[in-house]
Amino acid sequence: MSEQWMKGLKTLCSARSSFEKTGQIWSVFLSPERILEAARRLYDEEYFIEDISVVDTADGFLVVYHFDHFDGSARVALRCLVPHDNPRVPSIASVFTGADWHERESHDFFGIEFTGHPNLIPLLLPDDLGFHPLIKEEKARVPLKDLMEPGEIVECDPGFTLFPEEAKEAESEKPAKEATQGS
Amino acid sequence: MSIPIIPVELIRIIVALGAVGAFVGLNGLVLVYVERKVAGHCQRRPGPFEVGPHGLLTPLADALKLVGKQLFMPTGADPWLFWLAPIVSFLPVLLLFLPIPFSPVLTGMEVHLGILFILAFSGINVLALCLAGWGSNNKWALLGAGRAVAQSVAYEIPLLLSLLAVIFMVGSLNLSEIVRSQGSWPWQWHICTQPLAFLIYFTCAVAEVNRNPFDLPEAESELTAGFHTEYSGMAFGLFFLAEYMNMIIVCSIATVVFLGGWQGPFFSGALWFFAKMYALLFIIIWFRWTYPRVRFNQLLNINWKWLLPLGLANLLVTAFLMKIF
Amino acid sequence: MTRQAAAEQVAGDFYTRHFVEPGPREDTLILNMGPQHPSTHGVLRIVLELDGEYILRAEPVIGYLHRMHEKMAEVKTCLQYMPNMGRVDYLHPLAWNWAFVGAVERLGEIEVPERAEYIRVITVELNRITSHLVWWGAYILDLGAFTPIMYAFDDREYLLDLLQIPTGSRLTYSFFRPGGVSTDLTEDFLKGVLEFIPYFRSRLPMYKDLVTDNIILRKRIEEVGVIPLEVCRRYGATGPVLRGSGQPYDVRRAEPYSVYDRFDFEIPTDEKLDAMGRYRVRVAEMEQSMRIIEQAIEGLPEGPHIVKGAPKPKWKAPKGEAYFAVEGARGKIGVHLVSSGKANPYRLKLRSPTFSNMSLFAEIARGTLLPDAVAILGSLDLVIPEIDR
Repeated sequence: MSEQWMKGLKTLCSARSSFEKTGQIWSVFLSPERILEAARRLYDEEYFIEDISVVDTADGFLVVYHFDHFDGSARVALRCLVPHDNPRVPSIASVFTGADWHERESHDFFGIEFTGHPNLIPLLLPDDLGFHPLIKEEKARVPLKDLMEPGEIVECDPGFTLFPEEAKEAESEKPAKEATQGS
Repeated sequence: MSIPIIPVELIRIIVALGAVGAFVGLNGLVLVYVERKVAGHCQRRPGPFEVGPHGLLTPLADALKLVGKQLFMPTGADPWLFWLAPIVSFLPVLLLFLPIPFSPVLTGMEVHLGILFILAFSGINVLALCLAGWGSNNKWALLGAGRAVAQSVAYEIPLLLSLLAVIFMVGSLNLSEIVRSQGSWPWQWHICTQPLAFLIYFTCAVAEVNRNPFDLPEAESELTAGFHTEYSGMAFGLFFLAEYMNMIIVCSIATVVFLGGWQGPFFSGALWFFAKMYALLFIIIWFRWTYPRVRFNQLLNINWKWLLPLGLANLLVTAFLMKIF
Repeated sequence: MTRQAAAEQVAGDFYTRHFVEPGPREDTLILNMGPQHPSTHGVLRIVLELDGEYILRAEPVIGYLHRMHEKMAEVKTCLQYMPNMGRVDYLHPLAWNWAFVGAVERLGEIEVPERAEYIRVITVELNRITSHLVWWGAYILDLGAFTPIMYAFDDREYLLDLLQIPTGSRLTYSFFRPGGVSTDLTEDFLKGVLEFIPYFRSRLPMYKDLVTDNIILRKRIEEVGVIPLEVCRRYGATGPVLRGSGQPYDVRRAEPYSVYDRFDFEIPTDEKLDAMGRYRVRVAEMEQSMRIIEQAIEGLPEGPHIVKGAPKPKWKAPKGEAYFAVEGARGKIGVHLVSSGKANPYRLKLRSPTFSNMSLFAEIARGTLLPDAVAILGSLDLVIPEIDR
């Protein structure tokens, strides 16, 4: 599968994961401001949007965008972590129009603000509900590193500390790996 | 001593109207039953079977249910127009039956301009649909009424043209005269001399009475129920009855004008008339349970681009041939 | 009233706030199609702005059947959650069964016996045929013909009677278990399926002659609701909607799960992109499903129908995440399961295919006639509980 779209994209952490184990081949952490750019690149590479899901973790809301390609199992998960007190992510509805409803749904369930969304009104829930049903209680939240393994980390920003051990391993393995690729 | 003047004609008309009323009621019940049985057999099921032997009493139960239901009027509706509409839809139908010659004896009133009389009064139905649509204060009903008016007005023209072709040949607008101009065998009927006119007439007739595939004013999958969306109980029942009666009228005219009326092989009489009329009714019902619905622009295209030019051409050719021979 | 004042008065009111750009024109009609409407097949509401019968704008309003399945998952264990999966899409519940148990198996690395995989394929494909039959009947009903739905239900009844033997229910199946299926297939069932296939094959040409080739039907749905491939991609439309737009994408082939890679079947596509194209794709899919069933019954291996040591109700999923996608009758069903190592899933995301398929309606319906909107809605094959979840 072509990974052209990742060239030159500034990611926080990108990891290759096993399709048999997790059902996705790339898991890419991005800072919120990069999400629109990544979506545009995926659009140019003829990916289609599958869904937008949110996981409420102790580290913040993890917004997960799933994209897939018509050529075959190529599921890409873009992730971006936003804080609980100010959950703002740029909307990608201008690129993938179908994201409109997925974002409205995530807004319903978690109260994530998708900035630049054309019409962020409740989709599935009543207007006067007053709370976001899928937000967990403080003590029920679990840190991200206890929920998922990043997989085989390809590239990681040193400032990205959500997966402390693996990131360090990747850092130490990286030169060796580049060497093997070069040979 | 003066002999009291007995208004024979008036009594005759009153008796005929009474008979027509009974006929309308009875035929309504029969048609409801036939419709549901035909639908059932088209759909691999027996149709109504519970009330009475073979469900024969089902229409009565239906009628009772309709009569017993509460009559609703939506808020914001215009009460005058709303309640006037079903009455306006139903009453002219009674008049329409007067000039139809079921047999030489069973004729309510010999009207010299019989066809004109029927066509004129059947136009009132459009007004009723329009009132119902406007008066109900409902957008679906309004759309349905708009469709009904456009459709009825459009299809009346080729319908008239196809009848005119036969009238040219007979030279009379009297329905009994038209029947007498045909023989008792099928090849002596006007359907053989004017087959195109019959086809145009029948297509237009199906459209005029809003039956599938041309049932757009009440297309339930698009307009919920069209112009009678807001009507309940017997108010809906009157529309329903009027629709069936209009079906009988158009089939009766087709029988009179194209199929030899009461005349038939071996014997003549009302029996032949009803047999032919019910055969045509059966075909209309059969259409309904077989075909999908056309789209509105297609419906109007069929009329303005096909039926109207064809009807005109047919009329011209008929007139031309009448002049020569 | 000036146009500006009129626009201000209605901008963002209960009806028109669903439009992205507020305010109708002064001479247009705002029409609510639904939530109770004969052709929305459930409680779907579409706000239409009409100019005569032309649709200027359409905006679906959903959520009338929302049951928060995703929250329910967080308070139930994986096994307790199975009945929910029969109720998301009531027409193809076995595919949802599969998507969920697939995600659980992927997460828990549970082996599935080969016989169970074959049983799953057989039942899911039978279920797909019933789903397409309901769609077929209901779609023709939307277009104004009453009779075909009776024939479709007649055939579907045959299949429901069959599926009742192993699953025990007729509509909301909860048949799959992590690690297999709940009961084994019986001889009666297999015999019945083998009798059904030639019977149904003999019915399909009749349907084609009576319905598909009908000139009124073809004029109604040909060149209506053209969905270009690019639009499908932007909205994430999958299933017959995507294949009707000419892209041979089928999860059974693209992301082969279970034993689908062993069967020989085609992915029907259509280059016309219109409602008729989607119609033809679905009809062709019924034939392909029968091919798969035949091969699966032929190759049905002996063995257990559920793995030894399959998860018990209190089973704890290991921590981690898994995404599992299957091909449902309406498109790609995806389940994203995140577990923190407890008995209840930490987060479950259900990707419903009709949710994505429905969202493109607003764009496709613009500029069409009201009857075309009905034809397009029907051709998307909507199941409202699946949209709302």
